[in-house]
Formats: sequence, C-alpha cells, structure tokens
Amino acid sequence: MTGISVAGIQKRFGAYQALTSVSLEVRDSEFTVLLGPSGCGKSTLLRIIAGLEYADGGTIDIGQRRVNDLPPRLRRIAMVFQNYAVFPHMTIYDNVAFGLRTRKTPEAEVRTRVMRMAELMDIGAQLSKYSAQLSGGQRQRVAVARALVVEPEVLLMDEPLSNLDALLRLQMRAELKSLLQEFNTTTIYVTHDQVEAMSLADRIAVMNGGHIEQYGSPMQIYSRPATRFVGGFIGNPPMNFLLDDHHSYSRQVGLERPGKAHSLGIRPEDIQVYREMATQCWPVKVGVVECLGPMQQFTAELDHQMLRVTADPDLALHSGETLYLRPDPAKVCWYDGEGRMLPV
Amino acid sequence: MKRVGGSSAMAWLFGASLVILCLWVLLPLYLLMVNSVSTPDQIHGWPKRLWPEISFDTILFFWNFQGVAQAMFNSIVTAVITLLLSILLGTPAGYGLARFRFRGKNLFRIMVLMTRAFPLPLLALPLAVVYLQIGLDDTLIGVALVHTMLALPFTVLVTFSLFLGIPRELEEVAWTMGCTRWEAFRKVVLPLAAPGIAASAVFAFVVSWNEVFAAAILTVNNQTLTAFLVQSLDESPVHLKFAGGLVLVLPALVFIFAVRKYMFSLWGIASR
Ligand SMILES: Nc1ncnc2c1ncn2[C@@H]1O[C@H](COP(=O)(O)OP(=O)(O)O)[C@@H](O)[C@H]1O
Ligand SMILES: [Mg+2]
Repeated sequence: MTGISVAGIQKRFGAYQALTSVSLEVRDSEFTVLLGPSGCGKSTLLRIIAGLEYADGGTIDIGQRRVNDLPPRLRRIAMVFQNYAVFPHMTIYDNVAFGLRTRKTPEAEVRTRVMRMAELMDIGAQLSKYSAQLSGGQRQRVAVARALVVEPEVLLMDEPLSNLDALLRLQMRAELKSLLQEFNTTTIYVTHDQVEAMSLADRIAVMNGGHIEQYGSPMQIYSRPATRFVGGFIGNPPMNFLLDDHHSYSRQVGLERPGKAHSLGIRPEDIQVYREMATQCWPVKVGVVECLGPMQQFTAELDHQMLRVTADPDLALHSGETLYLRPDPAKVCWYDGEGRMLPV
Repeated sequence: MKRVGGSSAMAWLFGASLVILCLWVLLPLYLLMVNSVSTPDQIHGWPKRLWPEISFDTILFFWNFQGVAQAMFNSIVTAVITLLLSILLGTPAGYGLARFRFRGKNLFRIMVLMTRAFPLPLLALPLAVVYLQIGLDDTLIGVALVHTMLALPFTVLVTFSLFLGIPRELEEVAWTMGCTRWEAFRKVVLPLAAPGIAASAVFAFVVSWNEVFAAAILTVNNQTLTAFLVQSLDESPVHLKFAGGLVLVLPALVFIFAVRKYMFSLWGIASR
C-alpha cells in the first residue's frame, strides 16, 4: 500500500512564491497527473516529492512514511525526466541495470530483470549501444525501463513525452498507459498537455500560480470545472464564460441561477444551435466559421460578448448571419465574482 | 555572417597576418629545436643550415651540466605537487560553483579571477618573509604552494564550466536510484568530467613547470629548472641555454597538442 500524501507544501525561490500551501492525496496504484501552464510549479512540486528540492513548509508521506527529511535514495521512488537523463558513458544495459546494482542485487538477477524489462520496452536490440546512438523515442524507453526495473513503489515522471514528435508521443502515450496499468505503480505524472492528462489520468490536479485549482477525475474536471481558470484551461476550445451579473442572459433562456452568480460557463458542444427564432434563445451574430471535419466551430457575438460554439458539420453557416443559441441547462456551471464555481 | 576577407586585398592582408603570426610563434621554436640538436660549433657558426646534422652533443652537455639533473627533478616534484593540490582543491570548488546556490557566489567567482590580476612581484617580499618565519623557504612544497595559487583559478573556472556542462538530471536520476551524493558523483559525474579534469591537471603542471619568478626568489639550493637556468644564465655557455629552453618549452607544447580539442571550449566557457 503506497499512497502519497502531501500537505501544506510551500516553496519560495528568493522572493518568488513558487508553491503556496499545496495539498494532494494520491491513492495506492493511482495515476495522478499534475496539469497546468508552464511555470505554475508542477516540476517544483514533483521534485519536492522526489526529495530533489526542499520544501519550506508542509509534510510529505509516502506509504505512511514521513519522508520530509529523507534523501531521494531512501524514498523508494523512481523518476523519469523530460530530457531522459540516460547516462551517456554507459551502455543501455548498464543504464537499465544501474538502479539494481546500487541496491546490491546479485548480477544473475540483474541480468534476468534487465532482459525482461528490455523485452517489455522493446529495447532488446539496443542494450549494447550508447545513448548517443539512440533516437529520442528509444532514449525515452530506456529512461522508463531504467525507472521501472527496480519496481519502485512510486513512479514520478516530469513531462516524459514532451520531447518526442507528435506521432511518437501518441504511440508512447498508449504504451505507457498499458504498461503502467500492468505494473500498478502509484504514479505522479507532470504535463502541460491537457490531452495527455485526460487520456492517462485516474485523477488530474490542475495547477495554477503555485496552487492546485481542482483535483478530480478527468470527467469531473471537464464537465464541472471548479474555477474559471480550470474551465478556460481545459478543452479545445475552452469553456465559454458569459458575464451575467444582471441576470439578463440567464432569464432570457429560462435558467435558474444561484444568488451570487456572476458569470455562467458553458462548453461549446453543450449549446444547441437554431436557425429559426425560438423561445428561450440567445440571438447571436455569427463570426468566424471553421470546418474541422467531424464538426464545425464558429464564434458567436452576443452583445459584445464572444462565445465559441460547436455545430453539426452539415449545418450551412455564414459569417454575419443571425442564429439562435440555447445552452443545455444541465451542463451550465455558475461562477462567482472570484471565479469559483457555485453549487446549483 | 560575413566572411573575413571579402575582397582580395582583405584576403591578402588576412593571409599575411596569419603568416606573420605563425612565424612569430614558430621561428623561435624552430631555432630552439635546431640549436638544441646541433653541435656547439654549429650554434656559433655561420651560415646556418636549414637542417643541421642531428647531434645530441648539446643535449648531453646540458644533461651532464652540474645541477641540471637535480633541478629538473625538483621541477617535476614541484609540478606534481602543484597538479595534485590544484585538482584536489579546485575540482570541489568548481563543482560547488556549478551545482549550489549560495550567498556571494558571483563575488566569489570574480575574486577567483581577480587573484590572477594581482601582480606576483608585489607579493614576493612579504611572501619571502613569511616563508622564512614559518620555515617554508627554500622548500619545494613552498614553491608548489605559490604555483598552486597561480594555477588554482584556472582549475576552478575550468572545472566549473565542465560541471555546468554535465546535466544536473544525470546526477539527480542517480540519487533517485539509490546513490548517495558522493556515489553519484563518482559513478556519473567523474567519468564524464575526467578528460576535462585531466586537461586542467596538465595545465597546472605546465604552469608550475614554466614559472620562474617565485621559484627564483623562494629557493636558494632547491632550485627548480627555471630558477636554475635564470641564475646560471650569465655564466653558462649559449648552447646550454638553447637546450634548457627546449626542455622548458616541450611540456607546454605536448600539453597544447594533447588538449587542443578542449582549448576552445575551455576559453569560451571559462570567460562566461
Ligand atoms: N531553482 C530555481 N530558482 C529560482 N526559481 C525557480 C527555480 N526552479 C523553478 N523556479 C521558478 O518557479 C516557478 C515554477 O517552476 P516549475 O515548477 O519548473 O514550473 P513548471 O514545471 O510548472 O513549468 C517558475 O516561475 C520558475 O521560474
Ligand atoms: Mg516543468
């Protein structure tokens, strides 16, 4: 049983507050993704959990063990770095064997475990080569193999796929997912790519400016963004936010709204498009129309506020014409003046 | 980028400067070599021949000259001590600069460089006095200490840039795989830094080997080769000077040849 429990972690770099009281619970064999824009403190948090960086405050427990003051080597973790960090002066075999050897594993066992891992990661043909002779994708595999071969209790990965080209990234993503399901290792995975996060995670922690905005399943995060930031960060295009402080737009489409509501959020695909004037609709002017194959997207202007809407591909849309929109009441989220979601 | 020497006049000027610069460096070396393997008679004779008959008379005479062998031995001992001290003190300093954040780091780096700007002659008298007081005068270790002071800034800055060039993640990944800091350094950083450390070790050796001022002032009986040659310059025959000159220059030449691959990167990064 190796859960990770992080509570009240703070970190300053000089005058800059990189993390403000971050708390995170990762259950045993859960796959948690830290997602957020560049510079929001994801790597810093991961490095603090790994013991590569000291926290200024807070506690870290790995499997009921307080590890605050333990060096990385005693935390029973393995880490995969963005630039792979494959030792250039060792063969791939020695790279993968490194962790086993520092733990004084008998050489015969090292051999069987390295071979099994190499087969699993499909790097069997590379074992006698050096890092410089490998492609980026192969190095990536070596880094993962090297981390997993010691059967760590916790696997930490910092943007492991972001240096690969798009096609390879897709392929590795799928492989990584099935591999880690098999290993059942508790994993924290850092990325700024929301698609990667959605497809891999059991739970996503969305970070912004040194704190966690929301921690939940991909579907929760997507359909019920806890803050305007989360709604605006996740989804392509992101959630629409309509300023509704006078209650006029919600009344127009017959929506019940909480008292303190300041704005309403609605995903582009949760808006019905009508060509003819209907009751309880927003009349909008069509702006830019983009056809994306399986669907089309257009921008709609509603009294100087802009909405992005997804529509059926066979609907003939013309820039400048007037259409009528109705949001799906079950999908609407309400936000207060500070951008926090309000219960309905 | 524009090519140097776009017009033919520029190209000509460029070529000529190159030739002059090369001659400036190579001609003395050539004369040194040629005269060292000539017989003493040929050295004084005129006209010179481009290729003399090779003779080891001059070198042998130099080798058998009273005190040369001892001075050479002293030089080697001093240079080896300098090498060891510079590496043992300089490498950790370079590592610390490359890997740790600490207060006054930039000041420290500037101070390291500033020691090179401090004129040694200004230091000579107080140094000699202190050495006399603590009994370091006329000892090889005393000379080696001064030479270490001269070589150390380079060792620090060169190893600093060396360690900077080795990604921190390599070490960090080793830590997460069960290594202590020292084990990670020994298994991961050291093998990668070894060629550069070797280069700066040879550099420290050459600095000591060629240093004359401190060696001449601080020793009386235990002279290094440079100090010995300087002192016997007036009274010794000219072919001795040629042979001595060659012996002094040779290690530096070998050094430059051995580490020529590193030279550019070392300077480029060391001045950063
Ligand atoms: N060693 C450091 N010294 C100073 N500032 C740092 C250091 N490491 C990270 N930071 C700062 O902390 C913030 C968070 O960094 P990081 O955790 O790397 O972000 P992310 O991984 O989310 O892109 C950034 O603004 C970064 O500039
Ligand atoms: Mg990062």
